[in-house]
Amino acid sequence: MTGTSEGWVGSHFHRKEDHRLITGKGRFLADIARPAALHIVFKRSDHAHATIESVDVSAAKAMAGVVAVVTGDDIKDEILPMPQPVVQPALPATYPKHWPLAVGKVKWHGEPVAAVIARDPYVAADAAEAIEVDYDPLPYVGDAESALADGATIVHEDWPDNIIFQMDFTGGADEESQRAHEAKVQEVFDSADIVIKQRFTCHRCGVAPMETRGALFEWDESDGLTGWLTTQRPHIDRLALSDILEIPAEKIRIIAPRDQGGGFGVKAPFYREPMLIAYMAKKLGRPVRWIETRQEHLMAVSQERDQIHDLEVAAASDGKLLAIRDRGLADCGDGCEGVYWGFLMPFLGAVELPNAYDWPIGDIKVKVAITNKSALSPARAFGEFPTRFAMERAIDMVAKRCGMEPADVRRKNLVATLPHMSITNEYFDSGDFIKVWDNLMAEADLPGFRASQAEARAEGRYLGIGFGLGVELSGVASELFVPMENQPGYGAATVRLDPRGKVLVFEGDAPGGQGHETTVAQAVAHSFGIHPNDVVVTTGDTGTTPFGSGTVGARAGSYFVSAAVQACEFLKEKIARIMAHDLALAEASPADFSFADGFVTYQKDANIKKTFREAVERVIMAPINLPEGESGGLEHTAFFEAEKPMIAFNADVCTVEVDIETGQFKILSWTTSEDVGQIINPQIVEGQMQGAIVQGLSNTMFEEFVYDENGQQLTADFENYKLATAADVPDIKVTHAPTPCPYTPLGSRGIGEGRPSDVPGTLCNAICDALGPFGIEITDLPLRPDSLWRKIQAARGAS
Amino acid sequence: MSTTTITVTINGEVFEETVPVRMLLVDFIRERAALTGTHIGCTYEGVCGACTVQIDGEAVKSCLMVAAQADGHEITTVEGLAQGGELSPLQRAFNEQHALQCGYCTPGILMNMDEFLRENPDPTDDEIRHGLVGNLCRCTGYAHIVDAVRQAAKETR
Ligand code: FES
Ligand code: FES
Repeated sequence: MTGTSEGWVGSHFHRKEDHRLITGKGRFLADIARPAALHIVFKRSDHAHATIESVDVSAAKAMAGVVAVVTGDDIKDEILPMPQPVVQPALPATYPKHWPLAVGKVKWHGEPVAAVIARDPYVAADAAEAIEVDYDPLPYVGDAESALADGATIVHEDWPDNIIFQMDFTGGADEESQRAHEAKVQEVFDSADIVIKQRFTCHRCGVAPMETRGALFEWDESDGLTGWLTTQRPHIDRLALSDILEIPAEKIRIIAPRDQGGGFGVKAPFYREPMLIAYMAKKLGRPVRWIETRQEHLMAVSQERDQIHDLEVAAASDGKLLAIRDRGLADCGDGCEGVYWGFLMPFLGAVELPNAYDWPIGDIKVKVAITNKSALSPARAFGEFPTRFAMERAIDMVAKRCGMEPADVRRKNLVATLPHMSITNEYFDSGDFIKVWDNLMAEADLPGFRASQAEARAEGRYLGIGFGLGVELSGVASELFVPMENQPGYGAATVRLDPRGKVLVFEGDAPGGQGHETTVAQAVAHSFGIHPNDVVVTTGDTGTTPFGSGTVGARAGSYFVSAAVQACEFLKEKIARIMAHDLALAEASPADFSFADGFVTYQKDANIKKTFREAVERVIMAPINLPEGESGGLEHTAFFEAEKPMIAFNADVCTVEVDIETGQFKILSWTTSEDVGQIINPQIVEGQMQGAIVQGLSNTMFEEFVYDENGQQLTADFENYKLATAADVPDIKVTHAPTPCPYTPLGSRGIGEGRPSDVPGTLCNAICDALGPFGIEITDLPLRPDSLWRKIQAARGAS
Repeated sequence: MSTTTITVTINGEVFEETVPVRMLLVDFIRERAALTGTHIGCTYEGVCGACTVQIDGEAVKSCLMVAAQADGHEITTVEGLAQGGELSPLQRAFNEQHALQCGYCTPGILMNMDEFLRENPDPTDDEIRHGLVGNLCRCTGYAHIVDAVRQAAKETR
């Protein structure tokens, strides 16, 4: 551990969270016990699309130990249906009505149909097996294109078609302006030297954290409903449960366990299962507990990406990008999922399609189609994994047509001056893309690589180098968050000083491994001039923390920490004012007092000082003889909202070797260049990058949700839904070229959320570069040796 | 539900318990011994390694056994790694190298790598990575885990 009380921000402080986690004392959801808790097990649909003819629960009900069995028909008049406003975006879309359990028909393989509540989990599982459901199968709508075809079966049968959402991101709100805009873009295409037109597809894959979802609810007539829930946004869950179950919000307390085994987006929606569990806990007046199995998890959630993009790029022969046109199409699944509805990811993916390139003009439209699959649920690199794959590949294709280095085309077209408004109205607040890029190129040694590549090729070995880059959201400003999710973007923190000179921080968001306790403790210790071990952090309990929209969109380093720092500054001023009064320093202003090394010191005379504890204790415990208008006590809640939406930026390079006889490839190196602004904890930042890039690689190379022709999901275990292991992935070299963010008090940026997004493009670019002699373009994910081998074979056959 | 009575020692403490024959060892450890450091990540597929404990010093996935099979054996769980309140070099290295984020996979990895280092006191990075294939980690990307195991190896040699 290094760092002084002056300099905790940026110091190598080992995480506070770790001790409990490495000694087995973490408290995850499954570790929380309530006396006599009952266990719930869901009966899930065997069919992708079918009418429910009957549900026979008699055998299940008769089993010893079974307390209750419920079906959709039992609850549909008891629980209000979704959507409810707090979990419905302010975007024009069609929102499918649904309850926690299927009513009338099932719309995907794995949809909850009924549930058993029993005293013992094994008995509950046996009883769920004993439920007999009689189905009448309906045609399976298996992909977005067939969902939109003429005569397609309509999944939500009261809808006119299978479109949940569609949007023109560039042409304005009305038909007329859209047509005019299209024509303008067409003119650029008509006169361009080079036009690339390509379909890019990205498969269904996602995050699958190591801890599955879970919930434990109990009801008490006087206190109301208390729920422990795996969640990234407990405050939103609380409001949504209040609306659905018609329980006053003040009678609901949601507690996200202090330790959560990863979230990455998948614990951010308002899901169906917790609604039912909360309802049953109230109805039975007994605690009810659910620990999702891995099979349920992989059937129901963690499925994202799944987009097709017909992308066109117009460029000049010198590599200058002139225009972009994209028609995106996403396979949403059934869309029955609070907050996201399966379409917000493709929405944001389209917003972020232009990436950091300076496009003069563009025409971008997206459609999102309902199918008989589970609804897309968010995964880190929210929506943009497919669009960034398409964009980064397209840039390399432009470079090839121009006979230029892909690296040069990128540098030439990077947004050179910030702030910048993208063609999809994404605001880039600050940073220096060129500096980040040049730092990467210094690491990459492109001429050196080209020389070794030529040598290797002479020996019949195929080396390649690939580049990619990404602008990522650093928090989500209200300006975007209110329309997108009907939720505020501000970060909130309560800082409470303890009479003994320690600090308690309360955060309404709910982390799952990102190290918030350490990061904010460093920021607060830095501010007060104390030690991070003297800062205790409470997260995710709606009973004690200020309102926050959740741990999403890299909000911690940007918004939450900034709120905590603002609260500290507020309290410091108060302490300083009272100290100036006590010392009769009529001239002194709060700025004359420094907080460092455990002391509050009058800077104009360093002999005048108090320990931090004395200064704090005075205000909290002895509120007499205060300056006029001043009150005792030291606690403050700050709500931080930056003036403008903020971003972080990165660029990546990787090198590979491909075996053309087998299609196998090996990643030889991976280096990143990052602008994360002022770093608070370097190890945590590096950990986020390592983890995010490996998730991106795992998505690109291994993971894929597969449905058969009848919609049976074939990949609901880790044997078939394969995650990268330690032996599958490289070590990543993380380098920095920071520009402090001018809109946050520390200059920090939020990081980590979007970071997997440029991984598939970077890797595929390297492989296409290696296979340059064969002219191979990778346009589909996942990237698998067998499909690569077939491409190589075809190219060799053709030549 | 048929039951059986077993005697197992966990972290030096003897448990004599009557358990359903089908009770998995991981459930026994978590529910009967109330040692919740041992986790369940893949719900008994034996793939994720979060449930790894040591039986008579050998790392095993405790979801792949029923409790009855552990009758008469000595089990060490993550709670038994630190001796007298003192973290083991491997545990310390995990903190110092930031080898965990959410920490859900960590107990299983520690129990596996603790045995691995006894068998391989001077491993290469490649050997460490191959030693880790039975443990999935979704957060770290593994690089810092490799760093931590390497550090512990160096300190223990
Ligand atoms: S729970 Fe035992 S290996 Fe996953
Ligand atoms: S630290 Fe989260 S799964 Fe490994």
